[in-house]
Amino acid sequence: MRAIIFSWEYPPRVVGQLSGYVSALSTQLANKKVDVNVVTYDDSATGQTQEPSGVKTFRVANPVRNHIGVLTWVLTLNQEVERAAANIYYETNKQVDLIDVFDWHFIPAAVTIKNGLGIPFIYSVESLEDHRSPNANASYNMAIKSIEWLGFYEAARIAVKSEWMKEEVTRIYKAPKEKIAVISSDPSLTVKDVLKSYSKVAEANKHER
Amino acid sequence: MKDKLSVMMLSWEYPPRVIGGISPHIYFLSKNLVKQDVNVYVITCDFPGAPAHEVIDGVEVYRVDSYQNPSPDFATWVYLMNMNMQKETAALARKIADKIDVFHAHDWLVANAGIGLKHVFRKPLLVTMHSTEMGRRDGLHNTTERMIHETEAWLTYEAWKVICCSDYMISHVKYAFGLPTDKLVMVPNGVNTHSYENINVDYESFRSKFALPEEKIVLFVGRLVYEKGIHVLINAVPKILSKVNAKFIIVGSGYMKEQLLNIVRSMGLEHKVLFEGFMEEATLLQLQKSADVSVVPSLFEPFGIVALEAMAAQSPVVASDTGGLSEIIEHDVTGVKVYPNNPDSLAWGITKVLLDESYAKNLRENAYKRVLEKYDWEKIALQTKHIYEGVLGEYSKSFWA
Repeated sequence: MRAIIFSWEYPPRVVGQLSGYVSALSTQLANKKVDVNVVTYDDSATGQTQEPSGVKTFRVANPVRNHIGVLTWVLTLNQEVERAAANIYYETNKQVDLIDVFDWHFIPAAVTIKNGLGIPFIYSVESLEDHRSPNANASYNMAIKSIEWLGFYEAARIAVKSEWMKEEVTRIYKAPKEKIAVISSDPSLTVKDVLKSYSKVAEANKHER
Repeated sequence: MKDKLSVMMLSWEYPPRVIGGISPHIYFLSKNLVKQDVNVYVITCDFPGAPAHEVIDGVEVYRVDSYQNPSPDFATWVYLMNMNMQKETAALARKIADKIDVFHAHDWLVANAGIGLKHVFRKPLLVTMHSTEMGRRDGLHNTTERMIHETEAWLTYEAWKVICCSDYMISHVKYAFGLPTDKLVMVPNGVNTHSYENINVDYESFRSKFALPEEKIVLFVGRLVYEKGIHVLINAVPKILSKVNAKFIIVGSGYMKEQLLNIVRSMGLEHKVLFEGFMEEATLLQLQKSADVSVVPSLFEPFGIVALEAMAAQSPVVASDTGGLSEIIEHDVTGVKVYPNNPDSLAWGITKVLLDESYAKNLRENAYKRVLEKYDWEKIALQTKHIYEGVLGEYSKSFWA
């Protein structure tokens, strides 16, 4: 099993709790014999990094330094995420089973890779724009929501951390319930649930091909 | 290499979506590439009433969802549109039986999509730089402009070859992005003389919709924005009217429209200057043929397709001596060159053409001959095909092949 994880935060870059979660998960997955490739943002400000054993990390920098907002920053960074993912794909003789993308930031790259190369992706939800900015309907918030919509629509599977979030994803984004997996928050069970999800997506895609 | 080359052309505009010069450029380049035995797929933005897929003159045209939600601003919209364009193009390139050999992007408006597709499919990317942010704004003054400039730099960095439509643009792009000379190729823009050939205008009656019989027609076609120098023409109007009776017809729209209308009103010349806004093509072609003089007063002009169109329509041209216009117009032979941003000089040029009929007739004839010799789309498409073939030859020796 070969997986690429997209996360806009990864140690030493810690913005919220996602960083620690992805780091712990990717190490555990590597221990379970998954070939884990993490593609993340190269934040030079956070300094040198110590890579956990077994996990390959690919850090990409934004090719454009001047930005007028988070959206333009994210959308240009996505091209580099795509480049990194495509490089992994071609260098492993096109043997990539799936992409696991955390939150909305790198959804555009996951969607392009899926459509162009036929690699399915799992959308792992940490938080939603609707909760982060309640009732905010400015074009900026709507754009983020539209990217989330795109992600839920194109994802082979959606991973959430609670039954409540499953309800929310269904309520707000009308995602079909059977597409959503609830990942246990008990650290001893998390990796098992994630692996189950991974196998399901990888198997389904093999049949499709 | 396959026996037939396939190119995916990315452009934010393609007819009937016409915003600037890129739209006709893609239209003619694509259909002439098809004549040169190239498979061409044009991926462009959607347009009300235009189908999502159609075949035009052998060109496969796909119109993608251009991101219809409201956007915070134009630049952010461009990046959001690119997200959609990239997704749909990736799906298409995977679906069609035909394997794409090269991606050809036009301007920063499709930079992200072009760069992403290059890496996803590991195929060469070419770019035609029709313009630059630095040139459009006469420098870089704020974060938006710097962001766009950097996006352009990134696009030219990722491109295998950078095509420009004039020698002026080659040197400008080289300076703006610090590119090596061997990455740059000049291929002129073309103009289609055929579209002007079959126009049977009832000259008098068509003309009478715009001007009185005793008035000469002075035509401006272009976006009403600073770089096009329309304000220079407006300032020249009273100077011209003191010498010759004329009607000024302004076709196009843009952010300067209100401001220009106010100036015209304050001069009391509303009856002499007509703002026509956007005009459908058939009428525009007739108007270009009927104009006694066509004016291109640009301050910055990477190429100057409007001047070429006027030459093809056999309307005498007065243009500012700048950018690509300097190369297109040979002074006193194929047109009149005037000092840029100088209403007196512009008024002098226009007056000269309007008052001297035999001089004007000479310019018309020479200009038309020049267009046929140098700016023929078939020749341009062949040149472009040779560039693709050269790039593919180099590519075949790379580890991506």
